[in-house]
Amino acid sequence: MVEIQKTPPEPLAPIPFNIAEPVRETLPNGLRVVLVEEDRVPLVSYRLAFFRGDAHDPKGAVGLTSATASMLTEGTEKYSSRELAERVERLGAGISSNASDDFTTFSASTLSIYADEILALMAEILFRPTFPESELDLYKRNALENLKYQRSQPNFLASEQSARLIYGHHPYSVVSPKEGDYERLDRESLVKYHDSAYVPNNAVLIVVGDVERSELMSQVGELFGDWPSHEFTLPKDEPIPARDDRTLTIVDRPGSAQANIVLSNIAIPRNHPDHFATTVMNQVLGAGASSRVFMNLREEKGYTYGAYTRIDAKKQAGDFEATAEVRTSVTGDSLKEFFYELNRIRDEKVRPEELADAKSFLTGVFPIRAETQDGLAGLVANQVMYGLPDDYLQTYRENIDAVTLEDVQRVANAYIHPERLAMVIVGDADAILPQAKEYAEDIEVFDAEGKKK
Amino acid sequence: MSDGFKLPPLEVEQFTLNNGLRVVLNRNSSVPVVAVAVYYDVGSRNEREGRTGFAHLFEHMMFQGSANVPKAGHFQFIMKAGGTMNGTTSSERTNYFETMPADQLPLALWLESDRMRSLAVTQENLDNQREAVKEEKRLRYDNQPYGQIFDMIAAMIYKNFANAHSTIGSMEDLDDASVEDVQEFFRVYYAPNNAVIVLSGAFETETAKELIEKYFGDIPSQPVPASIDVAEPPEVANNYQQWHDPLAPLPAFLLGWKIPRRRSPEFNALYLAGKLLYDGDSSRLYQKLVKGEESVVQLFGFTDERRGPSSIYVGAIPKPGQDLSRIREVIMQEIGDIGENGPKVDEIEKLHNQLINDTVRMRQSSMNRAQSIAEYALYDGDPTLINSDLDELLAVTPKQIRNTVSEFLNTENRSLLDVVAAGKG
Repeated sequence: MVEIQKTPPEPLAPIPFNIAEPVRETLPNGLRVVLVEEDRVPLVSYRLAFFRGDAHDPKGAVGLTSATASMLTEGTEKYSSRELAERVERLGAGISSNASDDFTTFSASTLSIYADEILALMAEILFRPTFPESELDLYKRNALENLKYQRSQPNFLASEQSARLIYGHHPYSVVSPKEGDYERLDRESLVKYHDSAYVPNNAVLIVVGDVERSELMSQVGELFGDWPSHEFTLPKDEPIPARDDRTLTIVDRPGSAQANIVLSNIAIPRNHPDHFATTVMNQVLGAGASSRVFMNLREEKGYTYGAYTRIDAKKQAGDFEATAEVRTSVTGDSLKEFFYELNRIRDEKVRPEELADAKSFLTGVFPIRAETQDGLAGLVANQVMYGLPDDYLQTYRENIDAVTLEDVQRVANAYIHPERLAMVIVGDADAILPQAKEYAEDIEVFDAEGKKK
Repeated sequence: MSDGFKLPPLEVEQFTLNNGLRVVLNRNSSVPVVAVAVYYDVGSRNEREGRTGFAHLFEHMMFQGSANVPKAGHFQFIMKAGGTMNGTTSSERTNYFETMPADQLPLALWLESDRMRSLAVTQENLDNQREAVKEEKRLRYDNQPYGQIFDMIAAMIYKNFANAHSTIGSMEDLDDASVEDVQEFFRVYYAPNNAVIVLSGAFETETAKELIEKYFGDIPSQPVPASIDVAEPPEVANNYQQWHDPLAPLPAFLLGWKIPRRRSPEFNALYLAGKLLYDGDSSRLYQKLVKGEESVVQLFGFTDERRGPSSIYVGAIPKPGQDLSRIREVIMQEIGDIGENGPKVDEIEKLHNQLINDTVRMRQSSMNRAQSIAEYALYDGDPTLINSDLDELLAVTPKQIRNTVSEFLNTENRSLLDVVAAGKG
């Protein structure tokens, strides 16, 4: 009889992972260049990122930043939309442009043999876009179709309400432009916005891949050196409202078989020093399928296919969220378990094994995330764009490892507020209300169009 | 321009343990990560009538514990070690895979070997997972707009039951599964001689060999499973079907063709023709239907590659008020044009660059390499095809594409599934 090993084996000797140090330069016009030379595969990724996103839409022009970004690649003085797509794809490459809450990112990736051609094409697109009327029309019509589809999705309805409750008049409260916002978009406003917002002194060119530093810098100098810098203003940051009480908001979808629960409160921006402790705390509480919330609501109780908590940290602010899609009949029971877990992580220290497991997961998956060039470029872009320390990626695992049991309890108390949560539930209001009303005095009900009932 | 662009070959070493387990090692130490992929030669193609959904139900059972791993423990062990994992089932195979920090290779091998050796097949686990699979079926298929159309059209294309039925299976068949059925399924199909294991990433070859021998070497082999017949006549089973989708907000349609097996010269030519038709913003149908006529909300197409007869699909969700038959005419016109005139010079250059680009990108990730190698090892008996398959695709001529499209796509021998929007949207 062969001896079968009963317990998990010990790991081998660890292999250190040294993530490459980027080189940083700045052109006279203020354009910053961040380069990671990386020749494991013959590929190059370019990301030209602006510190300007949807949250910086001008007053009365919601959706303008995203529309300008999306339309950027739809035609230049030299090439039509179709010719651009053909030129890029003929090289096997990809180009895309879009905006998030905080940033606008124009990116391309290509085989390194075509790196020069693709970077030159990026310059053509950046400096001479035409924003054709016909392409803008198509963009608007597709966006309106998509908006109708989104209104049929419970997740969209839940985030629309949560963002409104947490962020008030701050632009982060806008989850999507409305019909009227899309209808108002016109070519002239895109052209003007492109002229004023796409400036080198508010941008970073991030390059990761199989390129040589001096060759890259001389090409960047030729293509982007004459790009004139100029003064720009960003809209003033709006204040984020203080919340004193727990509230309950129900979005009524009569007959819905499930209730989508989103509980949220304001937390911390991305560059906050408590980021590491909060990440570890969230890993124990609800980030994954071995976290407390999942183990309780799904594995033990069977209320749902998945239950999670999340730290959504943006440039100016961030929030904490607990979410699950549950059978309608167990909405009240699910809330009870959520509150149990949110209070428990505040009231008691987590177990040392839980802390150790959370840390080893976070430090272990880090190299896996950096394995592909796109993954690495994404990590570098986060460091640069959120203004994190230059050695952020090199010290990430040390910082995760330094989090203590006390830190976890402290940040749980500082950033999870069961008494001030915005509770949003999308589902059948008649069935949900009796189960949830004991959790808040302030209760409102909306319909799926976003109108108050 | 792409001529002469040669990719360095991947390092591939293969051997077989005494119990028949095929092992492939692909060492690449650029990042301290290792991927482990275990492929069992069993998929829905092995299921007979009255037993549909078994292969997939079994995939769930593989996470329910084994002699030394508690229920749901597999997942917990991997997460705690900083790894990621999953399992999937298709018509062709059932696969299990994890990506780990390189030093955790022993844990991954121990976990995979423990369940290959001693899976816990109990009534309680079976009942529990049967319900989980039913929830998954409701969530992903029955309760999604357009969620059932791909299973439906496969049943229209294929005549042979082994090919025609769905991987998720029927509720009735799932209810009929007994513990004895599942135990027998495990004995026959989850034997080491019916599996391939691939390691890709950072490891020492000698250490990896010792660990694999240590954990898998003494798992007993089993008689080879009965061979199966997936042969098909050339005609599709059914040309036309209408489906009232209760959840669909807009009407849609799906066209499907029966085509030769994966990696055959015909399949390769049609795979490339498909890329020209529907892949990317410069593709023919995207430019015609999404940009030019602006008649569709969504256009999609793909090949379903199988060891036996395979298939290719093109579908669209048109904008409200559009004439669906007009859109299908446009699709058939483009197919007719390729069938008559072949691809243009520019299109061939695009295909070549995209193929090289796709291959280079795939190679970055240890998990993608491991999975791709496992497919070549299991389906073709030759893992080194990872180093030559790109050249085979690059060697396909415009004339081959023209002739193959003319023969297999520009024909009435196809299936049309018409989706009527019965939803409220």
